[in-house]
Amino acid sequence: MIAKSLRDNRRALAWWSAGICAFLAVYMSVYGSVRENPETYSGIAMDKFPGPLKDLMGGFQDFQTGAGYLQSVVYQLFVPMLFIVCATLLANRIIAQPEESGTLELVVTLPVDRRRLVVERWAALVLSLLAVACVTLAVAWAVSVAVDMGVAFDRIAAAHTGVFLVALLFGTVALTVGAATGRKMLASAVVGVWVVTGYLVVTIGRSVDAIAWLKWLSPFHYYAEGRPLYDGLPVGDYLVLLAATAVLALTAVLAFDRRDVGV
Amino acid sequence: MTAVVQAEGLTKYYGRRRGLEDLTLDIQPGEIFGYLGPNGAGKTTTIRLLLDVIRPTRGLVRVLGGDPRDPAIRSRIGYLPGELALEGRERAGEYLRFLGRIRGGVAASRIDELAERFEADLSVQMRKLSKGNKQKIGLIQAFMHEPEFLILDEPTGGLDPLVQQEFLALLREVRKSGRTVLMSSHVLAEVESVSDRVGIVRDGRLVAVEDVAALREKAVRRIELHFDAPVPAADFQGLPGVRDLRVEGAGVRCTIDGRPDALVKAAARHTVVHLVSAEPDLEEIFLTYYSEEEGHRDRQESA
Repeated sequence: MIAKSLRDNRRALAWWSAGICAFLAVYMSVYGSVRENPETYSGIAMDKFPGPLKDLMGGFQDFQTGAGYLQSVVYQLFVPMLFIVCATLLANRIIAQPEESGTLELVVTLPVDRRRLVVERWAALVLSLLAVACVTLAVAWAVSVAVDMGVAFDRIAAAHTGVFLVALLFGTVALTVGAATGRKMLASAVVGVWVVTGYLVVTIGRSVDAIAWLKWLSPFHYYAEGRPLYDGLPVGDYLVLLAATAVLALTAVLAFDRRDVGV
Repeated sequence: MTAVVQAEGLTKYYGRRRGLEDLTLDIQPGEIFGYLGPNGAGKTTTIRLLLDVIRPTRGLVRVLGGDPRDPAIRSRIGYLPGELALEGRERAGEYLRFLGRIRGGVAASRIDELAERFEADLSVQMRKLSKGNKQKIGLIQAFMHEPEFLILDEPTGGLDPLVQQEFLALLREVRKSGRTVLMSSHVLAEVESVSDRVGIVRDGRLVAVEDVAALREKAVRRIELHFDAPVPAADFQGLPGVRDLRVEGAGVRCTIDGRPDALVKAAARHTVVHLVSAEPDLEEIFLTYYSEEEGHRDRQESA
């Protein structure tokens, strides 16, 4: 089952890896010119994103240092979002998409326990995302060395691990909604709403007291606030992400085991 | 011997919509059971309950002596879904081998043999298969592991006549080897040639289970006779089993309820140039076979 899911995913995985790598290469290679003209580029960045928009982009602190640039341009918004979209699309292939297209009906009549079916396909999702994460990490590291960013490998790896965990969490959210309802649009919508509100809460919402407590519900809080690029692996925060993922995956298994398929 | 299918009071509601109500049915080993009914009557609901795709609202279902929720029970079943969906870039042959592995191993030669019989091309990507070719792949995967119990939902949909013949031949082989088949259809003609018994389902209820021979005797047939000269209407009036009689010159049209014996003997007194006997369709069987029951129920309701 796992091998089959991985084989089915291979084309998508190749494209996503290639896409994210291309993004990393293009954006990170600009760093060379940023470092040479720090004032200009910081200024441009500040002008381009005034006030709240700047908050939204993570504040652009120390844009001209390697870690700052990497955080603002790569790990703040774009790469996590690309990963989350990739994870959600792959997760929808586990239950909701085959259920809507009708291919799941034959699969659930096979001599495979439904709980095992969900667990194995989820495991394939984990491995798929891990593959994309490893490939893109290697490229990120290579480019950072090439343009002499001066960020240690373990810091980049720590940030990348966070991206992987956040994407896996949202992928598992999609799986759980799909496993419980069999509806792809609903699963994607839940992920979308959670991503957007979660992200807003930890960026713009940080200064608004009334909603500041919501950050505890935002996966991004456990990802970016630990500042992995500066301080290394935030073990506690990442464990929270993992635990939440495990609870969601278990919910998916139980929900799918209980319900009618394809009605 | 334990029954292959045992259903008692099996009921399924989708929310408030009724899918199946109070189904009680036994299917014995070695039997080919035809499951008939118009679209939306509850055939697919029954089949999905037997395979644990959906769960009963109430009632009991046992398949091959166990709970279909048990994967070991499902490994002994072959299933062709009514609306088989196959998609993706994967080639049909690869998918069949995958299904074979999950079902505990199927020899490649067995898959090739079935593919040859159905003239299916296994090297085609599944998304490019036509409806008929998808159906062939569906039949191959249902038969390939030689299951004890075959559940086929509308198996002949989309098949051309030659492949249908091959399918019926395969069914006869299955019966000869003592295995059991449940096949659904909305066309009586499709199941009557191979079935031992037929169950008829309508509006979510099993309204009758009959031997095929008995059903055929009860079935209504539309008959048209043409003679070489005009015939007197009186010769055909009042014959047992003859209804809706219309005599127009040299032509006689009627429907026959049961045996056509009396009509044939009456016609034999004239020179018959042409005879048409239309296969009874299910609707007509419903109209006659169940009009009595319906009338009875109506009277009870109005009382």
